[in-house]
Amino acid sequence: MSRIVLEGVRRRFGETTALDGVDLEARDGELLVVVGPSGCGKSTLLRCIAGLEAVDEGRVTIGDRDVTNVRPAARNVSMVFQSYALFPHLTVRENIAFGLIVREEPKAEVRARVAEASELVGVEALLERRPYELSGGERQRVALARALVRRPYAYLLDEPLSNLDAGTRVQMRTELKRLQREVGATMIHVTHDQVEALTLGDRIAVLDRGRVRQVGTPEDVYTQPRDRFVAEFLGTPAINILTPEQARPFGEIPAGSVLGVRPEHLRLGDGVPARVELVEVAGSDAYVFLDGGLVARVEAERRPAEGEELSISFAREAAFLFDAETGERLDR
Amino acid sequence: MRSQVRGVRAGERRWGGWRQPVAVAVAAVFLVPLWFMLSGSLREPGQPPPRSPELIPRPLTTTSYDRAFDLVDLGRHAVNSLIVAALTVPLAVLVASWAGFAFLLLAGRARSVLIGVSFAALMVPLTALLVPRFTMFRWLGLTDTWVPLIAPALIGLSPFYVLLFYWSFRRLPPELFEAARLEGMAPFAMWRRLAMPLVRPVTVAVGLLAFIATWGNFLDPLIYLFDPDLYTLPLGLRSLETLDRTNYPVLLAGAVVATAPVVLAFLVAQRYFLHEERGAGWLGR
Repeated sequence: MSRIVLEGVRRRFGETTALDGVDLEARDGELLVVVGPSGCGKSTLLRCIAGLEAVDEGRVTIGDRDVTNVRPAARNVSMVFQSYALFPHLTVRENIAFGLIVREEPKAEVRARVAEASELVGVEALLERRPYELSGGERQRVALARALVRRPYAYLLDEPLSNLDAGTRVQMRTELKRLQREVGATMIHVTHDQVEALTLGDRIAVLDRGRVRQVGTPEDVYTQPRDRFVAEFLGTPAINILTPEQARPFGEIPAGSVLGVRPEHLRLGDGVPARVELVEVAGSDAYVFLDGGLVARVEAERRPAEGEELSISFAREAAFLFDAETGERLDR
Repeated sequence: MRSQVRGVRAGERRWGGWRQPVAVAVAAVFLVPLWFMLSGSLREPGQPPPRSPELIPRPLTTTSYDRAFDLVDLGRHAVNSLIVAALTVPLAVLVASWAGFAFLLLAGRARSVLIGVSFAALMVPLTALLVPRFTMFRWLGLTDTWVPLIAPALIGLSPFYVLLFYWSFRRLPPELFEAARLEGMAPFAMWRRLAMPLVRPVTVAVGLLAFIATWGNFLDPLIYLFDPDLYTLPLGLRSLETLDRTNYPVLLAGAVVATAPVVLAFLVAQRYFLHEERGAGWLGR
């Protein structure tokens, strides 16, 4: 069992509350992605699990063992840092073997496990190089190998893909998923990139100002957001938010509420008149910016021309109703 | 943004054109006195200083060196200085780096207080401590030994060296030490296996500064040493000056003997200053 449970975890830095009573569970063998904007407490959450930050209140459990006051090394978790934290004066082999050497594992065991981990991530040809001789993707693989070699209870990944170029990031995302399946270990992956979260996670947890807003499968969280923040954070372009006045042409909504319509649910061609102000083509999709601040996502081949007068509509059941004050979902 | 980059590059080019003449001018300021010290030491003993600058003396002779060594046991004093430096410098580097690393590991408030104390200590003139230090060492019965000369190394020789190490360690990405903590590495092992290999140029710089300070230390040996057999080289030079006050070639020969090890040490160490540990400044990003 290597599930990780956080119960009512709080962490403050002076006047700032980084984590405000976080309850979260990463199930055994699951890849849980924690996603949220910069400064929402994602990295602090990971550091509290690793033991690099003390917890002010609450409990951290790893594999049914309370580790709240246990030192980092005794928690048996591996962490991959955003900067990879590879030791620049050591070779790739020495970097991967680092944890085993510190723990004074037998030399033969170290050799075998370094070979196994490096093969798993495909860096066996780089073992005698130093980190500054590697590309970003290679460094990332070495950092993963260093995490894997110890065979910990769980892996904590702090935005490990954020320093990679777009192409390598997509490739490493797939590899990370494959690796997690192969190893079958619990992983908590922290990112601010919603696409990464939606494509990578078995489940995702959306964090905002130190609080967990919603936890669920990527599909659930995207199609059934619990509140306005989650709806606005996930999705590109961001969800359209209509005030009662803006929504009136499409149908009445209760006073004190707002309506959320995802750009892909906005249909062009029938309904309320609108004018196309700008069209952005993003590969197979096009983002159509309309007057009144609405955005629609359509197939690039069917995009209208800029300045075109058209009409728009959406299916009411595809829209979400939120409380204008609290952002809570009203139509669940 | 692009114009900023262009501006920086243009600045580099402008500076690049001036760099060599400026470097030569600065080097000359330091080299000219050294050259006249060397050329003066190669004049015949007893000769007065030349009326005009003399690049190469006529006749060229090393008899002033023989005379200096005859008058004073400079060899013994040099060996004494070497022993004191050999004990002081590694100890100072060790303690200053430990203290600097301890600053890094300390929590924010304690660290701020200690850094403040270090700065305050830097501002205390050494002469203000002469009497209390002498009283203390006399009370301990350690005067007329090398202990008072070596003892300051037990506090890193100078707070400046401690702060130098602290600033260098602080430049390293904290994730390196956090990764080591996760693996169960103890602070001493972190200092030895991670921190020190990554700040090698600073270690060499502090070592060299400590060597220069120890080698050229005149005041402490003057106060604490009474037995001529324990004298260090600066006291030997003073003896030379006392014995043959106006014999400039002999005095300059003594000065060359005292200066040569420092110049040699600098020449050996400069390749480490100029060669940053590859990847040490690399953040892995």
